[in-house]
Amino acid sequence: MSAVHGRVTQVTSGHNNCHQISRLAPSSSNALMSGFFGFDQPDLEKDKLKFAARNLQSNDGVLWGAETYDGLGDTLQEGGDELNDETFGDIGPVDKDFDFSNPKLPETENVQSYRQTVNQSPLPPQKAPTASSAAPLISLESIWDDKSPFSFRLNGAARAPSRDPATSTPRQSGIRTLQEIEAEMRAAAEQSREAAALQQRQQQLLLQQQQQQREEEDRYFRQRQQEQQEQEQEFQRQRLLYQHEQQQLQQLQRLQQQQLLQQREQQQHRTPPPRMLPVSQSPRFLEHQRQILLLQQQQEQQQLVRLQQLEEQLRVEELERQLRAQQISSQNLYERQQPSGPTLAEMEARHQQQLLQQQQMRQRSQSPAARNGHHNGQHNVPLQDNMPYLPQSIQLQQRLLNEIAQVDFFRDMQGLSQADQEALRMEAMRKILETEKMEEKRRRKAAKIAHMSRYNDLMTQSDKDFITRIQVSQLVSQDPYADDFYAQVYSAIARSRMGLGGEDERVLKFGSSGGVGLGAPIKGGNRRPNAMQRMQQQVERIVSNARKREEEKGLHAVHSLQGALGKTSGRSYKASPRQLLQVDPNSAPTSSPTLSNAQPHPHISKQDTGPHDAAAQAAKLGREALGTAADTADLVRRDPLTHREVLVTLETLYDLVMSIEQMKHDEPLPEEQGEEVEQWHQQFNALVEQIWAKLQVMTPLETSNPHPFISLLSVAKGKKLLPRVTRNLDSQRMFTLLTLLIAHFSQLDVIADAPLLETPEDTPGRDDVDRQTQAFLSSVMQSILPTIVKGELRLVAGLLGLLIDRNDTVAIARTKPGVALLTLLLTRVELIKQAMPEDNASIPSPEDAEHWQQMFDHLFDLLTPHFSRLFPTRLASGEAAESQDQPVWQFLAALALHATTQQHQVLVTSLREKVLENVVSAKKGWGMSEEEREAKLANVDLFLHALGLESSQIAV
Amino acid sequence: MDPLSSGIQEPFDLIRLSLSERVFVKLRGDREMTGILHAYDGHMNLILSDVEETIMIVDEGAAGTVSVAKRKMDMLFVRGDGVILVSPPSRT
Repeated sequence: MSAVHGRVTQVTSGHNNCHQISRLAPSSSNALMSGFFGFDQPDLEKDKLKFAARNLQSNDGVLWGAETYDGLGDTLQEGGDELNDETFGDIGPVDKDFDFSNPKLPETENVQSYRQTVNQSPLPPQKAPTASSAAPLISLESIWDDKSPFSFRLNGAARAPSRDPATSTPRQSGIRTLQEIEAEMRAAAEQSREAAALQQRQQQLLLQQQQQQREEEDRYFRQRQQEQQEQEQEFQRQRLLYQHEQQQLQQLQRLQQQQLLQQREQQQHRTPPPRMLPVSQSPRFLEHQRQILLLQQQQEQQQLVRLQQLEEQLRVEELERQLRAQQISSQNLYERQQPSGPTLAEMEARHQQQLLQQQQMRQRSQSPAARNGHHNGQHNVPLQDNMPYLPQSIQLQQRLLNEIAQVDFFRDMQGLSQADQEALRMEAMRKILETEKMEEKRRRKAAKIAHMSRYNDLMTQSDKDFITRIQVSQLVSQDPYADDFYAQVYSAIARSRMGLGGEDERVLKFGSSGGVGLGAPIKGGNRRPNAMQRMQQQVERIVSNARKREEEKGLHAVHSLQGALGKTSGRSYKASPRQLLQVDPNSAPTSSPTLSNAQPHPHISKQDTGPHDAAAQAAKLGREALGTAADTADLVRRDPLTHREVLVTLETLYDLVMSIEQMKHDEPLPEEQGEEVEQWHQQFNALVEQIWAKLQVMTPLETSNPHPFISLLSVAKGKKLLPRVTRNLDSQRMFTLLTLLIAHFSQLDVIADAPLLETPEDTPGRDDVDRQTQAFLSSVMQSILPTIVKGELRLVAGLLGLLIDRNDTVAIARTKPGVALLTLLLTRVELIKQAMPEDNASIPSPEDAEHWQQMFDHLFDLLTPHFSRLFPTRLASGEAAESQDQPVWQFLAALALHATTQQHQVLVTSLREKVLENVVSAKKGWGMSEEEREAKLANVDLFLHALGLESSQIAV
Repeated sequence: MDPLSSGIQEPFDLIRLSLSERVFVKLRGDREMTGILHAYDGHMNLILSDVEETIMIVDEGAAGTVSVAKRKMDMLFVRGDGVILVSPPSRT
């Protein structure tokens, strides 16, 4: 069944065909239906039995298929068999619409020819019963209840469609009374058996006769079918809906027909029963129908007349039914069976009109032969245009019609290749869509503008200004820079990255009372900058207006009342707590009083033995030079800071640093009143003092190990903080800090943990040390660099002495920070030496020079056994390793610059292998990239140039 | 002035101490992670870098065995509603 449906939906005009059949011969269309639904003749009988049985069971008002039962039965007039007479046309018009001319058929010839066609197509059904069967139902309804067809249609549509004949049969009978049906069924059960036997015999005969014809038609049909499939798919959905309706209607009709058949057979047994075979649903049958329609059109007028005559005749027949019974052949039965009245006719008429249009187009391509072949003896159902329209069916049909027309249009257009047409159509569709979209967009825009224009001139310019003023006033803040901090900092970074100088703050300032942060500079775009400028102007105007008003008020208002309701502006945020102790930073000693005593540290002096004598001397010198020697008198040994203490201290320091940075922003302009400037300086210096105290640089050297200050540098954020701190320290304090740092250099975590960097595997610990080292090099070294670069020879010598004296020089030299520091010191001295000839003032005293030489010699001696081991262990190969080696080569080069000839020889001897290895491997290029070789040579050259040599001189 | 108590008025101040430090974060859904804390807010949303996440996968079928999955991320935003605890990593 479902397979049949699948096919059915693919055939274009299937419902038309069925429609026609039902018009021609309702009883036979019933036969077609049942065949279509898969009944055989015996099945039908069984169904009836089943039906009757169910009827009995549910006689007392229980509804069949209750879930789908629509209550139609309640509205029906029950009882009397006199209605049957109506149904069968015995009585005159039942309905005001009843039209006998419509259901009439041409006389015997037509009926005979119809039978022929039915027999010609014994193949399985192709077509779902659709529109055609709607008509009989409606008419049936009108007969039962004299209601308008609409009400029935609605009800019918509401029913759940069912394709299963077994279930749908009982359901549809809800319209009739149970007793009626019951009686009919019982009778039918007996009679249909006989009928089936007869029919089958007849059918077989006919089948044989027309075998040949069928084959021919099949071929043709297949061709047609393909064409139709495309079209069909578009209709499929609608048709399915329609079909459900139709099926129900058909089933009603079938029941009716069966009744009729039974009566007939009782009356005249010689008459062969109507065809109730699946014959008529063959594909060929569909073809027939189409051609029938064509013919119909031609014969329309003629048939109309004829049908009217027939109608008259039929009426007479009905009146004298018993008499005429023997004369009327089974063909007449068809006509008689169409008691459906005008509604059926209407439906059919609408339907046929549409079908005709459709088929006319289609059949243009059909061969005349094919047409003729099927047209012999077809019944033709007249078109009755004078029928009143059924709105619902009209709607449906018009929709179908439109779609058909569209498809046909495309089909006609597609005289070319299918692909071309498809492409063309797609293109066209696309263009149409585009245009529609554009149009839609434009329309929406226009609508929006029109909509908005309703409010045109609602506000005056001054209104707008007022609003703007309110908005802008919200933007003005006391501290535009801080409120816009991230944008400001970001834009500053972006600008410096782009190499642009320019203003350091993108802030609109209004005197001292506030401003507007402008955020990051806007690149490109003409609109925004203009908007910005406009806003700027507006803000300025507003502010100046406010000032003017303020002044006027000041002139007129009573001064005592001013500010009574609170201050509107001011610098309240500046009113930090008054300092209890106001220490004059200039008069106060820059360093702790304990350090003013420059006595050598007893602990240091104890260490001063043997070869370290010179170093100790130098360290002492350095300390003296800096005036930062620790006093041991009040030395209190303490535990080193815990990690948490370090963190707490650092957080405090960060707070201080941030407030000091904020203060620098708020630094009053020099031209402002002296008091304010002074106050600012006081606050600033107080902050610096706090920071200095927190840094604990002045804590005696030996207080703890590591020194508190060193502890602060043990975490990354401490290292990162240092540059921000040192910016605010004067040079004296920086020297102190630097000395402390160098004195405790080996206590630094980056030195102590440096061996971890040599671990081959990638541990979290190593990563952490690496991170710390990077932070140290970029932050701490960066912050001490300016101090060292400014230092004199005496200072540098002192620092170097201190370093050697207080630390394990070799260990330090094997770390990155150590190498960096040593290189820094050596480079500084080299620069001093270079500057000497030009700058007399900077010529160091002979003692200083001698002292430096001593220090250097000492360093050189210390490192001599370890030169080749200064290089970091090879963790990686290739370029990365070379870049790791580079600082060491740099340091060696710096060393070589200061070295004497004798020391050069020592250097070369100890580094000979390393140099040769590099040069050889670079020149032979064992699987190295070009960059790597260049890096190797560059590193070696760095060192060799300092000796006045070059790698190219080395013969491999 | 006690350096330990100064500047600590609320629990979040303790987290503040760990800014730009490596922290251990325990999360709902059997997840833990360590990473360098860059920022946090009142919802305990965290921004971490160099994160290593450890996910405990309890296999309920086979006698509740626990397998561990790890992954690393350069930078991570951790939504605060999943945070159970934030602590400094255990110092070894």
